[in-house]
Amino acid sequence: MAEFLFYFLSIVAVAAGAGVVLSRSPMMSIIALLATFFCLAVIYLLAGFQFLAAAQVLVYAGAILVLFLFVIMLLNLGDTRGQFRLQDALLSGKTRLGLAVAAALGLVGAVAARRAPLGEHDAALHAEGIDDLTDVATALFGRYSLPFEVVSLLLLATMVAVLALAKRQRGPASQRPPEASATALAAPPPTPAPPPALPDPVASKEEVTS
Amino acid sequence: MPDVLVWLMKAGAIFGILLGTAAYLTLAERKVSAWIQYRYGPNRVGPWGLFQPFADLIKFIFKEEVAPAGANPLMFRLAPFLSAIPAMLTVAVIPFGPEVRIGEVATNLSIVDLDVGALYLLAFSGLAVYGPILGGWASNSKYSLLGGLRASAQMVSYELTLILCLLAVVTLSGTLDLREIVTSQAERGVWNVFVQPVAFVLFVVATFAETNRHPFDFAECEPELVGGFHTEYSAMRFALFFLGEYCAMIVMAGLTTTLFLGGFGIPFVEDPHWVLGFLAFMTKTAMFLFLFLWVRWTLPRFRFDQLMGLGWKVFLPVALVNLFLTGAVVSLLG
Repeated sequence: MAEFLFYFLSIVAVAAGAGVVLSRSPMMSIIALLATFFCLAVIYLLAGFQFLAAAQVLVYAGAILVLFLFVIMLLNLGDTRGQFRLQDALLSGKTRLGLAVAAALGLVGAVAARRAPLGEHDAALHAEGIDDLTDVATALFGRYSLPFEVVSLLLLATMVAVLALAKRQRGPASQRPPEASATALAAPPPTPAPPPALPDPVASKEEVTS
Repeated sequence: MPDVLVWLMKAGAIFGILLGTAAYLTLAERKVSAWIQYRYGPNRVGPWGLFQPFADLIKFIFKEEVAPAGANPLMFRLAPFLSAIPAMLTVAVIPFGPEVRIGEVATNLSIVDLDVGALYLLAFSGLAVYGPILGGWASNSKYSLLGGLRASAQMVSYELTLILCLLAVVTLSGTLDLREIVTSQAERGVWNVFVQPVAFVLFVVATFAETNRHPFDFAECEPELVGGFHTEYSAMRFALFFLGEYCAMIVMAGLTTTLFLGGFGIPFVEDPHWVLGFLAFMTKTAMFLFLFLWVRWTLPRFRFDQLMGLGWKVFLPVALVNLFLTGAVVSLLG
């Protein structure tokens, strides 16, 4: 039963992962990614990692993907149908590079899986969960507390960098005299962002039919 | 009796309780609103209108499903389920009562007792945001889109407060298992609401925002957005959105009871019979459900910027300070 579930979920996860890349509409990509995260979470559960599964759903499906959804809705990213031809996309250099990287990673994964010691399958242990919260917490905030803090700093730095880039693209601070740039941060941006435009499934449908 | 059978019966019973409570909550909503506004409310279907939920259900089933032209067909159908299913799944970890002993069978009155129960609940209640946002987007209507955006923005914002308040309780109890949080309150002899009054108030207010209820129901505020994210929905799909909202309310009320009011514990009674424990849990939960209704028909609606300001500038800092102080006190007193 568990083995069948594992293979079933793996196939669904891989198929959904392919769907993320191949789908023409970003919304469908999001839903496919959601499915992938879910399958992964259940696979973690099957392996006995309850905390990992809950964290996977909480962080990836509940927070990060919602952010993606926001961005796609606010930028009104439409259907990419008609913008690419599959043959062109498959033959481009970027695709070849991507395929090569994927093949290399797959090889590494396969080798790692071969060399990894296979644990004894203990159903009772797995049902209770083998990632005991106390152990996770002690490791995370004890032995690995410094890397943990560094990672949070990294995230903060990324956020600041994104803000800086977004500011520069609008270009208020650099064009002003230095004494004004300090107040520019507090002032509202000179050109307010356009209101969220409606998604227009009608338009994309007409494209299909025409 | 085999374990699987016991478990299936338990799951069936708890889902039955959830769906039954949700159905009668719709009636209670109308009865309470009528009572507050000095009216009768529904009183034609059965005595005191008791069969009204069934009449509503039949009406929903037989109504015509209408989808607006240009709606994204897949997402439009998917969204109501994405709203209802996570809300129903969260009930799995709520401990409804103490250990039940009938004959030789002994089992805990909750579908599953997870080590990471609180995390599981947060994870799935966080997924509830997909229903409104996808429904609003797929409807191809400006009111729906604005409603969906508002719903998701407020749910994401208030989830932070919810998590931080829950963490304060978790810090006190030292576990994420909801059943152990209940027993730890019984062992301490005092409910968490008295130990963590700040977290309690923030948590209750945040549940109102998280479930899109009055006075924070911007996702569907009629004067501005017609019906918000479900403007374009009709028949069973609309009913599913409603079911999701009511199930979320019940789960949130149950969670508040579990975290702050001692769950199925009864004050000054040690190890009560499981029927009494279950009744105590349901009574406390019903109290919070009544609070949801009472507030809806009493308080005026906020403004959206006030809601966001309250969430990010007041609740979040206060919850953070509260969590910090809790952690400090717990680590100092050992």
